Amino acid sequence: MSHALGFATSGIKAAGIRNAEPDNYLTHETSLASWLLTTDHKRIAILYAISITFFFFMGGAAAALMRINLLTPDGAIVAPETYNRLFTWHGVVMVWFFLVPSIPVTLGNFIVPLMLGARDLAFPKINLMSWYLFMIGGTLTTAALFWGGLDTGWTFYTPLSSTYAKGHVVLAAFGIIMAGFSSIATGLNFIISIHRLRAPGMTFYRMPIFLWSIYSASVIYVLATPVLAMLLILLSFETFFRVGIFDPALGGDPLLFQHLFWFYSHPAVYIMILPGMGVVSEIIPAFSRKQLFGYKFVAWCSVSIAVIGFFVWTHHMFVAGVSVFSAIVFSLTSFAVAVPSAIKVFNWIGTMHKGYIHFDAPMIYALGFIALFTIGGLTGLWLATLAADVHLHDTYFVIAHFHFIMVGGMVSAYFAGLHYWWPKITGRMYPEMWGRLAALIIFFGFMLTFAPQFMLGYYGMPRRYATYPPEFQVLNVLSSAGAGVLAVGYLLPLGYLVWSLFRGARAPDNPWGATGLEWQTRSPPPVENFATTPVVTKGPYAYPTPAAVAARTT
Amino acid sequence: MSEAQLHFQYEDLEHQSDTALDGMWLFLAQEVLFFGALFFAWMLNRHFHPLGYHRAAQQTDLLIGSINTVLLITSSAVYAAGVGFIRLDDRRRLVQCCVITALLGLAFLGFKGLEWHEDLAKHMNPGRYFGLSGADAGGAQLFWVFYWVATVLHGVHMAVGIGLVAWLLHRVCKGAYSAAWHTPVEVVGLYWSFVDVVWLVLYPLIYLVGRAG
Amino acid sequence: MRRIVRGAALVWLALAALMAVELGGSLARLGPGFSGLLLLPAAIMVLLVGLCFMRVRESGGLARFFALAAIFWLTVLLGLGSIDPLTRHDYSVDVTQYP
Repeated sequence: MSHALGFATSGIKAAGIRNAEPDNYLTHETSLASWLLTTDHKRIAILYAISITFFFFMGGAAAALMRINLLTPDGAIVAPETYNRLFTWHGVVMVWFFLVPSIPVTLGNFIVPLMLGARDLAFPKINLMSWYLFMIGGTLTTAALFWGGLDTGWTFYTPLSSTYAKGHVVLAAFGIIMAGFSSIATGLNFIISIHRLRAPGMTFYRMPIFLWSIYSASVIYVLATPVLAMLLILLSFETFFRVGIFDPALGGDPLLFQHLFWFYSHPAVYIMILPGMGVVSEIIPAFSRKQLFGYKFVAWCSVSIAVIGFFVWTHHMFVAGVSVFSAIVFSLTSFAVAVPSAIKVFNWIGTMHKGYIHFDAPMIYALGFIALFTIGGLTGLWLATLAADVHLHDTYFVIAHFHFIMVGGMVSAYFAGLHYWWPKITGRMYPEMWGRLAALIIFFGFMLTFAPQFMLGYYGMPRRYATYPPEFQVLNVLSSAGAGVLAVGYLLPLGYLVWSLFRGARAPDNPWGATGLEWQTRSPPPVENFATTPVVTKGPYAYPTPAAVAARTT
Repeated sequence: MSEAQLHFQYEDLEHQSDTALDGMWLFLAQEVLFFGALFFAWMLNRHFHPLGYHRAAQQTDLLIGSINTVLLITSSAVYAAGVGFIRLDDRRRLVQCCVITALLGLAFLGFKGLEWHEDLAKHMNPGRYFGLSGADAGGAQLFWVFYWVATVLHGVHMAVGIGLVAWLLHRVCKGAYSAAWHTPVEVVGLYWSFVDVVWLVLYPLIYLVGRAG
Repeated sequence: MRRIVRGAALVWLALAALMAVELGGSLARLGPGFSGLLLLPAAIMVLLVGLCFMRVRESGGLARFFALAAIFWLTVLLGLGSIDPLTRHDYSVDVTQYP
């Protein structure tokens, strides 16, 4: 296996052990305290992974109950008040405690220092603090959801949330603020690390795209989240003191709430998708054995998405009462933000063209990502079109749109990255056949769940309703059936990945033959990541050039 | 006498120092957006309730507000001088500057507490028992909501800043800093001056703009 | 030592002068149209503190980049965010009775 990058050889590797387990970050110390007080980015990534997996299944359980309820037009299992609590629970947990942290705190925390050729992130203690903030926030919000739950929807629109809501709005808000501070700390750590801890020879244009994507997402973490924090403080003030900041009956402006809310929450969805795009940008070249097509375009498109994503937030408020002039401006900017995403899709396809494609599980997930993200992204343009949005707003069309991107896209990318870097993180190979099977089940289950929802939205079924007119039943049943398949698809990796920890084949340092500094160290890595600091002399995707590929005979 | 500790992920002390300063600047950028959201709320409400804002601003205590502004400007100047002194290895003068800065900060909070007491006595607490009534009371309440949220949050930031300066004092007295290594002094200075900057924006928003209209 | 004190004092004087300007402008009751102008001396004061006390010019390019980014994003929030309130009519009522 040729080393694509110049690398000062590790003495540990030269010792050539495969049977005697060398010391790695997992075996170095094993007490509980060494885990709970660790500042090792790799261990913090594992702590986060366990946490967000828990939240993922909690949010998924709420979704399962919702889909079961929607099997019949009159609501099969829960009353409307309970249904309101379920979709709020699903949204709050999935957005703030799964999707917003997801790839950056798990794969990002683990892989970013390795990709940089660094020994850790810039501020390891702040990294640990961010996990504790996240757990405190998660505990508080979960408590609020259990103590009677919230019925406001994850969007907390006023005056419902401040004046009429039943439940512990302020407690949940406080938990979300804690989680927000956690994400600001994470983003700050990544930005500073990428600027200051790159290995010698690693210029910005020699960084893997995953680093560009994490950087772009971190910009959003740092600059959008404080606005949400202030908003939730104002909301708590209004709720506690019964004043009318946002409540029109008391002289306030509900649109003020929505402006500040969406100023954060729209860029937040780019927090969710950019790292996923970064993962896909690593996997496509690796499993096509080909250089990434248009590297600089992909890199700067990541940054553009993060920046332009701040200019579009009012597209969530087209029918809320904003001025038509404002709506037109934001409709235009929303069209603009689609362009860099589209450029990336074309570049991924260009990468695969004339490549050697290997359909391992990470690649299947990545291909699923491209298909589902593209569909989701294109339907966003329909929602950005003012006249169409009047009809489609608050219907299942919107739900299908964002689930195609967040679940079909983001969660697939998360699984893709999980499988791709699993050998590096755990030192074990997962069972490939099960991996491919789960990826296919997830893809088909997803399509069955959410494609009917586009139809439902087009026909006018509103979102957040526990009941619906009988003519929508067939599509709803299809969607719920798909949710069942999807559940199986998500439970499978939980099973075989855990199994692989005990019985999986031991992984070599570079099972995929991929480029990147993380593959130049052991699987699992030693505590200090690299025995000596690597030196970078080439670009990030030094797979065979297109000329060499063209000269190939198959 | 303790030397600065070089953390393992850095090449040398200069690398570590630059990184710490960059980290603080980025943190301050985040704080700009935090208070920025509040400024946006101020702007939107002033646009829709200019008369209410005018009426409400009359109730603010311009004297205390102005005194506090002078106190903060002075503290920022003194601390900046302190950073200049430690760069010349003058630990004694750094200690003096830190003490003065902390005292000015405490004076600020003292006057603020006095002002809050006065505001509550006038019933400037938004809500059912608000002290103003009549045509523009709604807009006035919105102004006072901004006032309380902004000044309390700013006060919290000030308290944190005073705590940091006190911690620095403790460290300087133990001989931790010198011309060669004094990055924490600079980092705290950035934070302190930033808290001053926020007040420089809050001062006209609270005391001056409403009065002028 | 003298140089340091003099430098800080000079900036202090400039800040005090600007504060006097904005205080005077407010007390002169120029009217609602001009009240926005009061923020101009405040902006200059912020710039002075940033340049002189926070030494942003001396700091590396990265610190300056972060400072500029903060100002840019604040402008986006306040600027783009103002488009809606400036172009729509507000129908809110003043509170007269509490529920």
